[in-house]
Amino acid sequence: MMNAAFLKMINVIVEEFSHSYLVPSFLTLFMKSSVAGDWVTQHAKDPRVKLVAAKMKKENYRPDALIEILHTAQNAFGHLPLPILHFIGKGLKLPGSRVYSTVTFYHFFSLKSKGEHTCLVCTGTACYVKGAQAILNELEDKLGLKIGEVTKDNKLGVQAARCIGACGLAPAVVLDDEVHGKVLPADVLAMIHEKTNAHEQAGTE
Amino acid sequence: MNRQELNNFIEKEKEKLAEKGSKAQIRVCCGAGCLSSGAEELMNSLKEEIKAGNIDAEIIPTGCMGPCNQGPLVKFDPGNTIYQKLETGDVAPLLNSHLLEKTPVTEKLLFADSRENPSLNADEDPYFKKQLRIALKDCGHLDPEKIEDYLLLNGYQALDKALFAMAPEDVISEIKQSRLRGRGGAGYPTGLKWESVYRYVNDQKYVICNGDEGDPGAFMDRSLLEGNPHRILEGMALAAYAIGASKGFAYIRGEYPLAIKRFETAIKQARKLGLLGKNILGSEFHFDVEVRIGAGAFVCGEETALIASIEGKKGNPRPRPPYPAEAGLWGKPTLINNVETYAAIAPIINNGGEWYSEIGTAKSAGTKVFALAGKINNAGLIEVPMGTTLREVVYDIGGGIQGGGKFKAAQTGGPSGGCIPEEHLDVKMDYESLVNLGSIMGSGGLIVMDESSDMVDVARYFMEFCMDESCGKCVPCRVGTKMMHDLLQKICQDNATRIDLERLEELAEYVKETSLCGLGSSAPNPLLSTLRHFREEYENRVRETSPKHNVVD
Amino acid sequence: MNIIEININGNAIKADAGQTILEVCRQNDIEILTMCHMDGISDVGACRLCLVQIEGSNKLMPACTTKVMPNMAITTTNERIKKYQKITTELLHAERNHTCAVCVANGHCELQDMTAKLEITHIRYPHLFPDCDMDTSHPWYIMDHNRCIMCTRCVRVCKEVEGAHNWDVMGRGHEVRIISDYHTPWGESETCTSCGKCLHACPVGAIWPKAISQGQLVKNPGMINDLVEKRKMNL
Repeated sequence: MMNAAFLKMINVIVEEFSHSYLVPSFLTLFMKSSVAGDWVTQHAKDPRVKLVAAKMKKENYRPDALIEILHTAQNAFGHLPLPILHFIGKGLKLPGSRVYSTVTFYHFFSLKSKGEHTCLVCTGTACYVKGAQAILNELEDKLGLKIGEVTKDNKLGVQAARCIGACGLAPAVVLDDEVHGKVLPADVLAMIHEKTNAHEQAGTE
Repeated sequence: MNRQELNNFIEKEKEKLAEKGSKAQIRVCCGAGCLSSGAEELMNSLKEEIKAGNIDAEIIPTGCMGPCNQGPLVKFDPGNTIYQKLETGDVAPLLNSHLLEKTPVTEKLLFADSRENPSLNADEDPYFKKQLRIALKDCGHLDPEKIEDYLLLNGYQALDKALFAMAPEDVISEIKQSRLRGRGGAGYPTGLKWESVYRYVNDQKYVICNGDEGDPGAFMDRSLLEGNPHRILEGMALAAYAIGASKGFAYIRGEYPLAIKRFETAIKQARKLGLLGKNILGSEFHFDVEVRIGAGAFVCGEETALIASIEGKKGNPRPRPPYPAEAGLWGKPTLINNVETYAAIAPIINNGGEWYSEIGTAKSAGTKVFALAGKINNAGLIEVPMGTTLREVVYDIGGGIQGGGKFKAAQTGGPSGGCIPEEHLDVKMDYESLVNLGSIMGSGGLIVMDESSDMVDVARYFMEFCMDESCGKCVPCRVGTKMMHDLLQKICQDNATRIDLERLEELAEYVKETSLCGLGSSAPNPLLSTLRHFREEYENRVRETSPKHNVVD
Repeated sequence: MNIIEININGNAIKADAGQTILEVCRQNDIEILTMCHMDGISDVGACRLCLVQIEGSNKLMPACTTKVMPNMAITTTNERIKKYQKITTELLHAERNHTCAVCVANGHCELQDMTAKLEITHIRYPHLFPDCDMDTSHPWYIMDHNRCIMCTRCVRVCKEVEGAHNWDVMGRGHEVRIISDYHTPWGESETCTSCGKCLHACPVGAIWPKAISQGQLVKNPGMINDLVEKRKMNL
């Protein structure tokens, strides 16, 4: 742990030498600050932060509960903002790289907002054989959204699922948790408009 | 609750049932398929109509009945009459006609739109007649959110029998005698697996239920978990008793929220009745189950990756041996079976291993659940004895090709499987026969393709799937699947030469032989099987030599 | 010690039952090619270069993680194994950006040595050249993802020997990348101790000290194992 006086001294040295080619740049090694601490103090009253904190406590801060806690956090926030990952990493005493690598490994977790409304197109085999690609093409043509993209106003996000297990109803899409089966590209667009009143060519993020 | 108390509880439930007498039962299919075709609104309107008309009937939400394509489905008991494609407007006339006037509504009967004489009793329809439902038996009949329903249908009797009349060794030998093989795809004999975990001595062992049904086009596990969760729970408890485990995990895909909810409900109910927890039914056996939710990674269906995921890590597979039977979850001996395997356990203990072994073929005993999908008329969930031919499945049960088209191929085993062409329609569906054709049984997804399907594109589709789902740990799978995908893409875009095709074949063999886990070593299967059966489609699309490049070899 | 007898390439050899095939082969001067293996850290069986054939098994097994068993008959090299080793090496070349002439590790690179050893003259697969960046934020070191072969030796040495766990692998499939902390610049790492062990662990020119240019990088991966051994001795 670095004490404040020492950090101050380093700051002075860095400042002094900042114009010189011979900056003792390794000193910046001692100037790290904590991202998680500040953010969590600012948001301590946010019920979503409280929820994540409670879940960590319930799981006894066991590192092997990481995925469970990430599920809770994603349910609360809709996605996983970086400060929350710092918060979880600190709580479970897990290295940041380990938390981040787990989050990016599983496609269920998202670092970016998925949009207020989501349109999840199933691209499982049955849906693929029955025209899921046509739906994706239509969404791209009419809304300018590719898989994983969100409209500028964050109203709508398009995602693809590997298989939602509704193969008997192929092709299927999931609009905000409601499964719609045997849909045509035009149906999907109509349903989306109903949900979001999104304008065509809304532009992508 | 001990054994006696549970029996008293069941007796009371039986009395309640007897009081109801011949009251009509209206079962509404609440499988995922029917729910998305509007089963919930249908059920609400049924409830309202019954209340308004003061009709003496009971409404029971059930799990998947099978013919998902015809949903939403409603079954009237007694009589076993299924009505299909119902809308809220149909409810009042239907109740009036079927229950009050006792005349069935013929035009709404199951398969009324495709058969001349739809059957009044659904079991007489060829769709059900050809099937033998063991794993799916009570699925679509009982209310999956009520443990009482399951208990009334002999539920947890197998656990009772095992705990009080059988030693763990007896349970294992019964499973061995049944010749049951793992239903997750590889077909390893379940009894042998149990025995090897049983033999490792350790104070802590684990039982895992693999419900990470990742194959696109497969929804058997989902329907079983949603339609009859207690059957899976009982199977897990029996396995735990046999191998000496006290803790179980059910790993269920995050994409299946309803299955997770119903399975969690089932666990709570079972705990309440003393069927899970300490001293189950007053015996010395302790066992409890927790649900773990998958987070969207196909590779987690691989057992070592699944274990890593339960431990809160990335789903990276590790080399075997050591197998999970020796060192699995947290390094302890661990038994992993598929959902469908667990669904077969209780019937085997109840009826004996010999009974089960007599069903099916010499090497593949019992029944298999298939999820029919694609260009087929009766898409849905079916269960047939092993050894049923593909023709029977596609034409007799599946009702043939949609729009009267011509059958081209059936894809089994998802991204790890292959395509079966028309000339092999009479193949018997069992583990060995499918492997001989370059496909695999897999978890049971069966996707039918007609003449409009481009087989090179099908191979590309599955390769893209494997490329995206590869964990990236070993070189053959990480880079090999990407290379193969790019080459297939090139063929699909008519930019490839004969040398590309040769490279593709060489890479396919290489990835198959050298990958670390099952995902990589089976990733080339769809490519190899389409090359084997539809080679001309590839040949027709590659040029002899490239005019632009001077290729080194 | 539980001494057992095994057979490697037709020769009877005595080995300890707890040893891996790789350890036994190295003790007996039998060549096994490796890339993701490094003495002193755990094995993951990821590069698939050490695959050997074991009689009675139709699958090739990685020598680094497979333990010897009594009467095991092992073939360490044959045409099939050589062919697969060549393809693996070619794929590693094609995966990112490996051009020896402009590389700091030129002449001191395990991938380069492997390529020469296997007599590879051309890479038959198209180079993928994915969009990788270079992390120059650390005051002393550079991490160039374009040259990384994802052997994860740096990840393991950082986690197991240094105990810092600065590195890990993000994403999956062909999009995996080595990351520092929360995919933040290496120079801003809260965990890195700047010990430099990952530089020595890296078999190629992906991590190197800033003061070095083409062909000047010399590494000493053996020092990692020496370190581990010395710690065990607790002098």
